Amino acid sequence: MTMTTAANPQAEAHIPWGRVRQGRRTADRAMKLIATGFTFAAIFVLFWILGMLLVKGIGGLSPATFTQVTPGPGSEGGGLANAIVGSFVLTFLGIAVATPIGVLAGTWLAEYGKKSKLANLIRFINDILLSAPSILIGLFVYVILVEPFRGYSGWAGGVALGIIAIPVIVRTTEDMLNLVPGPLREAGSALGAPPAVVITSVTWRAAKAGMVTGILLALARIAGETAPLIFTALNNNFWFSPTLVGGVSNLPVTIYQFASAPYENWQQLAWAGSLIITLSILILSIVARRLVAGGK
Amino acid sequence: MLSTLELSPQTLDAEAPVRIAVKNLDFYYGEHKALKNINLDFRDRHVTALIGPSGCGKSTLLRIFNRIYSLYPEQRAEGQILLDGRNVISNDVDVNELRSRVGMVFQKPTPFPMSIYDNVAFGIRLYEKPPKSELDDRVEGALRRSALWDEVKDKLKSSGMGLSGGQQQRLCIARTIAQKPEVILFDEPTSALDPISTGKIEDLLEQLKTDFTIVIVTHNMQQAARISQYTAFMYLGEVIEFAPTNTIFMNPGKKQTQDYVTGRFG
Ligand SMILES: Nc1ncnc2c1ncn2[C@@H]1O[C@H](COP(=O)(O)OP(=O)(O)O)[C@@H](O)[C@H]1O
Ligand SMILES: [Mg+2]
Repeated sequence: MTMTTAANPQAEAHIPWGRVRQGRRTADRAMKLIATGFTFAAIFVLFWILGMLLVKGIGGLSPATFTQVTPGPGSEGGGLANAIVGSFVLTFLGIAVATPIGVLAGTWLAEYGKKSKLANLIRFINDILLSAPSILIGLFVYVILVEPFRGYSGWAGGVALGIIAIPVIVRTTEDMLNLVPGPLREAGSALGAPPAVVITSVTWRAAKAGMVTGILLALARIAGETAPLIFTALNNNFWFSPTLVGGVSNLPVTIYQFASAPYENWQQLAWAGSLIITLSILILSIVARRLVAGGK
Repeated sequence: MLSTLELSPQTLDAEAPVRIAVKNLDFYYGEHKALKNINLDFRDRHVTALIGPSGCGKSTLLRIFNRIYSLYPEQRAEGQILLDGRNVISNDVDVNELRSRVGMVFQKPTPFPMSIYDNVAFGIRLYEKPPKSELDDRVEGALRRSALWDEVKDKLKSSGMGLSGGQQQRLCIARTIAQKPEVILFDEPTSALDPISTGKIEDLLEQLKTDFTIVIVTHNMQQAARISQYTAFMYLGEVIEFAPTNTIFMNPGKKQTQDYVTGRFG
């Protein structure tokens, strides 16, 4: 090697350039391309569904949709008023059943059961329930609440929806409570507050936004459930009894029945109903997300 | 190091009665013995500092006085801690009553997710039902004593979580003293705070010792020297030396203490 006489002698490279194989870069680009491609495919399908829903659903929407009851076979016009109100009632019943049970069970897991064997067993069962096919839950409620009383009812429908919502609420409640820092609980106890007071006035408060979000997500989950209602609340084309005894009209089962029927007005109402459910769930999800963001 | 320590003018009353007497105390985390045969006397209305290297058992000891360790079934203490003549670690003590007499302030501020007012009133409402006007007075009094009143008097209804770290810590102190405890335990109350907030809290401790018996864990030796009258030096779960703070810092009896306070280890 000769002495460097250049003005800016450069140090010799310790690491030679070109160590990265060409193949690795190509594989990298291919991976990115494939992933992007499939993402767009998924989004495309989603927008396709939403687009079709919007076009066909808006076509079926009219003031009558919200004022008239579901039409009988062969009759003209009609709306979804009874199904919309029925869905509200059933969903509300379901959440009313599931919230206290879910919140208390989730609280027990996070605050009392912790890592005990019993708590782990309950978590395991809850996870199974979380992924149980909803038609099974419909059948179960049919056996315990429809058959013995010799008839369908909104109460049975509400209970079936509640059973579907419970595991969702249990899970989110426990997760949210576990996020509350331990020292906050200790600070409550250190003032002489008994555990129940610490839980209700410190821990729950700290986890409030997350817990409410869990309940809203459960609400969104059950709002569109069809299978558990077929065996329990059934459906009908009239205003249901205020006692909720007998079939209670609701959107999911109405959609199910109307969509496959040969009548033009039924099919249109099925689309309109689908749009209404989808928009409601969308709004619920947005509210839930906002709450989570606001709670931070 | 020794020379830079500013020792506070010690108003140490050797005749002061013993408020807490610790006798032959052992502590276990499951199988692990974290404290070995602790014997200490805490004097009424004095500040006693617990110092020692990290992991030596300072927090463990502090958390026995109010039985906060009882929240965890695998933790257990043996021996005696006499508070006004009662052994607080015996099973027949009502832990919640004990905790209303022995307050605790934690390392990280722990404001509750509620208004500033409700934070301070929380401890009072647990065991007393004072009329609104009296409650207002006590909340104000506690906030004044915690040097927080002027900063929050116009926003008592806003959340305690919205305060700065130093204000939150003073809020926690207000919440504790509002309950009128006899003893207040501090576990490194300033280690998460900036120097100005730390100064405010140290001034506060100086004020509080006229009414409360204070035990403070700190790994800041200047802090121990500035604010305490007695200091216990702990190492590996044992109390190596316990003496008036001046003695510990100027004329320690043990070589280990000397090494620690001069910064040679720890
Ligand atoms: N929850 C716990 N479970 C088991 N061991 C613990 C627990 N907390 C602390 N220890 C152990 O007890 C000893 C003393 O800890 P600690 O009192 O926190 O020390 P210090 O406050 O002096 O830093 C350490 O060895 C630590 O590892
Ligand atoms: Mg500690």
